[in-house]
Amino acid sequence: MNGGEVARFVVSFLEQTGCRIIERSPSHVVVKLSPEADRALTNRPFYWSFVDRTGAEPETMTFAWHFEPPGTPASSAPGASAPAASSSASAGSAGTVPASSPAALSGPAVPGYSFASDAAGTGIAAAIAGTAALPLPGGRVLTEYLHFGSARLHQIFDYVRQRGRNVLLFAEPPRGARSADPFSRAYTAWLGVNFKVAFECDMKREDLYSWGISLATGVIDENFGERLKACKLTARLSPEIRLLRSTLTPRKGMARLEAHLERKLRRGDFSWAVEAEERRREELERVSHYYRQLIGRADSEEQRRTLEERLKDREAEIDRQFRPRMTVTVINCGIFHFPGID
Amino acid sequence: MRTPESPPAAGEAVRRVHPLVELRVDRSAFEELERRLENNGPWDNWTLYRLAWEAEQAMRIGDFHELWSLRMLPRFTPLPHQTETAKRVLRDMHGRAILADEVGLGKTIEAGLVLKEYIVRGLVRTALILVPSSLVLQWVRELNDKFGIPAVAQKKSHHWDNAVVVASIDTAKREPHRSLLLEREYDMLIIDEAHKLKNKRTGNYKFACALRKKYCLLLTATPVQNDMGELYNLITVLKPGQLGGEPEFSATFVADRRVPKNRELLQEALGRVMIRNRRESSDLRHPRRFVTTVPLTLSPDEQALYDGVTEYVRSSAREKGLGTAAALQLVTLQREVCSSRDAVFLTLFNIFKKAKEGSLLRERVGRLVELLKGVKANTKAEKTLELIRGMDGKVVVFTEYRATQDYLMRFFAEHGLAAVPYRGGMNRGKKDWMTELFRRRARVLVATEAGGEGINLQFCNRIINFDLPWNPMRIEQRIGRVYRLGQTEDVYIYNLCTLGTIEEHIVRLLHEKINMFEMVIGELEEIIHVLEREETLERRLARLFLEAEGEGDLRRGIDRLGDVIAGLSRRRRGQG
Repeated sequence: MNGGEVARFVVSFLEQTGCRIIERSPSHVVVKLSPEADRALTNRPFYWSFVDRTGAEPETMTFAWHFEPPGTPASSAPGASAPAASSSASAGSAGTVPASSPAALSGPAVPGYSFASDAAGTGIAAAIAGTAALPLPGGRVLTEYLHFGSARLHQIFDYVRQRGRNVLLFAEPPRGARSADPFSRAYTAWLGVNFKVAFECDMKREDLYSWGISLATGVIDENFGERLKACKLTARLSPEIRLLRSTLTPRKGMARLEAHLERKLRRGDFSWAVEAEERRREELERVSHYYRQLIGRADSEEQRRTLEERLKDREAEIDRQFRPRMTVTVINCGIFHFPGID
Repeated sequence: MRTPESPPAAGEAVRRVHPLVELRVDRSAFEELERRLENNGPWDNWTLYRLAWEAEQAMRIGDFHELWSLRMLPRFTPLPHQTETAKRVLRDMHGRAILADEVGLGKTIEAGLVLKEYIVRGLVRTALILVPSSLVLQWVRELNDKFGIPAVAQKKSHHWDNAVVVASIDTAKREPHRSLLLEREYDMLIIDEAHKLKNKRTGNYKFACALRKKYCLLLTATPVQNDMGELYNLITVLKPGQLGGEPEFSATFVADRRVPKNRELLQEALGRVMIRNRRESSDLRHPRRFVTTVPLTLSPDEQALYDGVTEYVRSSAREKGLGTAAALQLVTLQREVCSSRDAVFLTLFNIFKKAKEGSLLRERVGRLVELLKGVKANTKAEKTLELIRGMDGKVVVFTEYRATQDYLMRFFAEHGLAAVPYRGGMNRGKKDWMTELFRRRARVLVATEAGGEGINLQFCNRIINFDLPWNPMRIEQRIGRVYRLGQTEDVYIYNLCTLGTIEEHIVRLLHEKINMFEMVIGELEEIIHVLEREETLERRLARLFLEAEGEGDLRRGIDRLGDVIAGLSRRRRGQG
């Protein structure tokens, strides 16, 4: 994800969670969080339980998020890999935010966060004391560089994973087709599933599949993700739509999709697994040889037992490290109603 | 992690898709869909659904071997040799390696890269990082600041429950921590300063061997090849049996404790588990170092004090026996006089306090204190002030003595020169604060300590050695504060040298005979490692000073020592 993609992602999230965007450019956004977003991002469970118990008016936090690296484009300091140098540059470049601190350092606890609207001296002191990013009394703006890989973006990722798991949607009927074509009003249901496949040994690789199956006919569409992108979807069932009966339950549809995926995976390349298994065997042989020698020379029963115990630990480690394995995870899935029968 | 035999959790199924590979299916998101269909909702928002998939696409690990974590660290650009090392650890060594770069090439960064990569790939969730206690906070900061890894310093027992914990190995190996840690299975274990594990009878070694881990990194700057036994033990922590059983190892690789045989075979075997980057071969631009000796003549009253102390040291040493530890310590007095009267006063005062009232010792020390009172000015301090005034930019003044440091702080303040102190006893926050003050507000940092938790002063390129430690590693640490990665300017080093004193001999040995101020960082460590197997350099020097009969004898003794060190240095280069 580059800066632009992160920006689009974050703004979508902010809009969906009802946050109030105060200021916006392609490379930054200043936003007052909605209560929902504040609960998800600011890590203030005590504050929120206080609000919930007392019914007090919640005071949500305001952030200035920058999507481009600090120091660009004006001063991309070459070789500024020293932590202090780069972090002071980060705060210094936050010029688009009103009242940004010219000389704040990043605190050790939450890298890249700095206090805005604060005198330079106390900014440094606070950062050095490691007290960065606590709830600020009214009116302050927290400035952050929000990039792919930053903790903040990952909080947002976690939120959307939690809150974007299951949908039930209808394609909007094509305009003008309402009266003319009776077929356009007959809808069938699809089960759409997003799969993640992980190939794991001491290393790891992943594939993603966005597939769908028609619950009316059992047809599987491997380009279902593309199809979803192309049409307008709504959560509301419009009165003139007629839903045709499904012949498959979602459960049967799911079983067929899984079987289809499994067949595809079986046909795949397993050289990575063969190689990992070879390493695993070699390693097992190595430690076994080593410990057998020691066990053979052990002076006492107790020493022998300890060594055998140790060997077992080592073997378990090696197994954990190298044994090839695959996992399929359903990331999210939903029921989608489309016009016509495929 | 679950073993393959345990039953699948709800929403999971296990199937075999290849003779070697089990497939586990987690369909809990689908089961939730079924529940919601039954209850008629509630349904999630379509945009959030799409964003969740987009996030997954962005996080997808598309390749077994590339460093995916780099794209998550836009503010940090590792050096080419560091990236290359991380890749080799992941790809060729499968996550178990000894990182043995020379000092200053960034072993911590390499370890951080490897750890980050495994975390990003979801292969490491828990990591235990064991380091000397003085380095705990530095590790925590590096991992947090550079890598965005939420590492926690272990202070209380419940801190062990964090995913990534940095702890002192001496704490970890003791109960109650020990049993707690041995019960766990860590995804990754990192041990810094791992050469301390070389002795297999120590608690550290046994503890490290007993820990259960999937991946493991051992970091050391000390070249372990110098001792075959140590090398074998270290590799046993990492991968038992990698060099065969002990008898096979001895038969194949050991000619003598310190001399390997089948050198090429050994190098090849080591190459499978160890990476050692050298300064010469890394593509770093090296700033130059300019070393200047600043000769000084003591004022008559200072000279009188020095002579008095020297006389006292010689005669006391003769009484105690020349080689004894107590005698050797006396030489410290001479070194202190060369630094400042404040430094020597403290030691004299302590001797005075311990001596019996009315004793000869009290009388002798009393006379020295009289001489000390006669000293009104500090020639070195005045020269230092003159040097600093003639320079541009910031300067670090190093001294061995706390009392000298205090004196210099007062002296600089009286002369309107902004200076900040820095010493080992300060806590981390204060050290950072001082460093920051030095960077922003002051021209001079007066430091007594250079090692330990590294302060990085790359923004400064001038050092004045107000006095010199006799432990060459400490000198190297001093230089290392400014002459390190990130230093773009040439570095200037000034050694103050009071003529006709013990200091003159030391400067001559270190600077002229062995040229240590221009030695490659890391080179010295190897030489000293060999040299000090029998006796520390400090003790050797002290003995020379006490035992020498006259100047000429002393000079020859020091020259011989210099030749030994130079010889070791040549031998090392020959090997490299």
